[in-house]
Amino acid sequence: MINLAPQVAGEPAAAPVTRETKIDIRNLDFFYGKNQALHAVNLPVPVNAVTAIIGPSGCGKSTLLRTINRIYNLYPEQRAEGEIVIDGENVLGKIDLADLRRRVGMVFQKPTPFASSIRANVAFALAYYEKLSKREMDERVEDALRQAALWDEVKDKLDQSALSLSGGQQQRLCIARTIAVRPEVVLFDEPTSALDPISTARIEELLDELRGRFTIVIVTHNMQQAARVSEKTAFFHLGELVEYDDTLRIFTNPKHQKTQDYITGRYG
Amino acid sequence: MTSRTGSLLPSGGRRGDADRGSAADPDRETARSASARPHGGLAERAFRLVTGGAAWLVLAILLAVAWSMASGGWLAFRTFGFGFITSTQWDVVNGQFGALVAIYGTLMTSAIALVIAVPVSIGIALFLTEIAPVWSRGPIAVAIELLAAVPSIIYGMWGLFVFAPFMAEHVEPWVNDHLGQAPVIGPLFNGPPIGIGTLTAGIVLGIMVIPFIASVAREVFNAVPAALRESAVALGATRWERLWHVTLPYTRSAIVGAIFLGLGRALGETMAVTFVLGNAHDLTASLLMPSNSIAAAIANEFTEADTELYRSALIALAFLLFFVTFIVLSLAKLLLARVERSLGRTN
Repeated sequence: MINLAPQVAGEPAAAPVTRETKIDIRNLDFFYGKNQALHAVNLPVPVNAVTAIIGPSGCGKSTLLRTINRIYNLYPEQRAEGEIVIDGENVLGKIDLADLRRRVGMVFQKPTPFASSIRANVAFALAYYEKLSKREMDERVEDALRQAALWDEVKDKLDQSALSLSGGQQQRLCIARTIAVRPEVVLFDEPTSALDPISTARIEELLDELRGRFTIVIVTHNMQQAARVSEKTAFFHLGELVEYDDTLRIFTNPKHQKTQDYITGRYG
Repeated sequence: MTSRTGSLLPSGGRRGDADRGSAADPDRETARSASARPHGGLAERAFRLVTGGAAWLVLAILLAVAWSMASGGWLAFRTFGFGFITSTQWDVVNGQFGALVAIYGTLMTSAIALVIAVPVSIGIALFLTEIAPVWSRGPIAVAIELLAAVPSIIYGMWGLFVFAPFMAEHVEPWVNDHLGQAPVIGPLFNGPPIGIGTLTAGIVLGIMVIPFIASVAREVFNAVPAALRESAVALGATRWERLWHVTLPYTRSAIVGAIFLGLGRALGETMAVTFVLGNAHDLTASLLMPSNSIAAAIANEFTEADTELYRSALIALAFLLFFVTFIVLSLAKLLLARVERSLGRTN
């Protein structure tokens, strides 16, 4: 089933990407108090692929992401209606939130290292979910840092403060921290918008390496980035899903005029 | 980089990177002539002088205070030598002055105050920033800040007329019965339940510094970025785990700062302590016995200081308070610097 090689830009439009659905968003409405931010969104996210969400500011793309791991629950005035089904379970219902967040990790716009050592940052969530010996813990920390392409840069200073790292390194640390608990889904909320071009390129390489191992949903402002890293792209406008298709199709032959206007830079 | 940006500013503010490239040459000309404006004008120099003078004045006052107390207390220091600090004898009639009781009283009451105030204040601040319903946060915070504005004489009177009798009747007998026989700490809690003493003073002090620590801590916790909280929650942390492993480490230095602000106030607090401490120059292990503190001793006795040596001894006490406070705050700074360094923090 998972047999599609990552698409290379420039290839002629291939057969549509068809995969099992990992996250099935059904009829999702979202409210900030009285303001409705999402209107009846239906979006099946394929398993172990990269799905990009694009759209102008305020279109609800970050909101959608924050609904999937229910981080919005921190704020009492925010609420979601509809269904988000992950592996047959509606996560908007009564569920174990800690377990949901182990399965669905999230990387934020700005790097948010905790004020502790690099090791402690990566081990932060691991310690909550698994009882590991010191050795197993060290292995898991190393494994996560290697996957996040950070190991070689930090292996000699694991006990130094995470705040001493550069912005790009901090963001990779946040990715390591997130994938350390082996989630099934990783949500990226504009992960490179606070980074310089070189760090951005490294994160994109990393996304490419993580492809196939995790179901990735990435919100991005940067359309080239969406085109480079994703297999599927969803275009949102004013809280509505306008178009959802294979990335190649969205960027070469969109069905809707609005999508066309947005990707050609007529507004946004 | 900074200076270049600075010199570009007079030529019409910031521009997009693209513009800057194409219109670089004429732009730079303007910039150069703008920055060639003389920077040594009269107003410029006067401004430097005034602000610099104000800053140096603080240091000058600090030194002047230290010097005037050191010289005022010189007679006492010369007469008793190191014994002034190590002796417990405060015999006015025979002209024997030793400060140990007052030093001990100052440190002990402040320590009790912090033991009580720190957990309560941090609890208040965490409750107000994390748990309390949003509508109630503002009013409670204002109420706490108003508590900080209550004059210390009021705490003193309340302590003497209301709290000390309460301690004598209800708390101290219980303390005597339950803690008085305990190993190691027993002697601290064994004594006559008279209400006036180190323990009562420490508790009153604790109540007084709570608003200070709590309101600073509240602001500190409020300043934790939402993104940091969210990333802890996104990793599955419960509220307790988030507070313990993310919020507190992030705010560590600021919280220590808030605590030392409270300690500074507790060490120097005079009026309330004078009322409930009992003005007794006897060194005893018991927290239930009357004792003395540096500030209380000065407040109690400055009108009676009829000999030069007596007055000098009081000024020497003041110098010691100044010195103790200075040492405490320096230690705090050192400690903080070490914590920061070991974490490799650069900012």
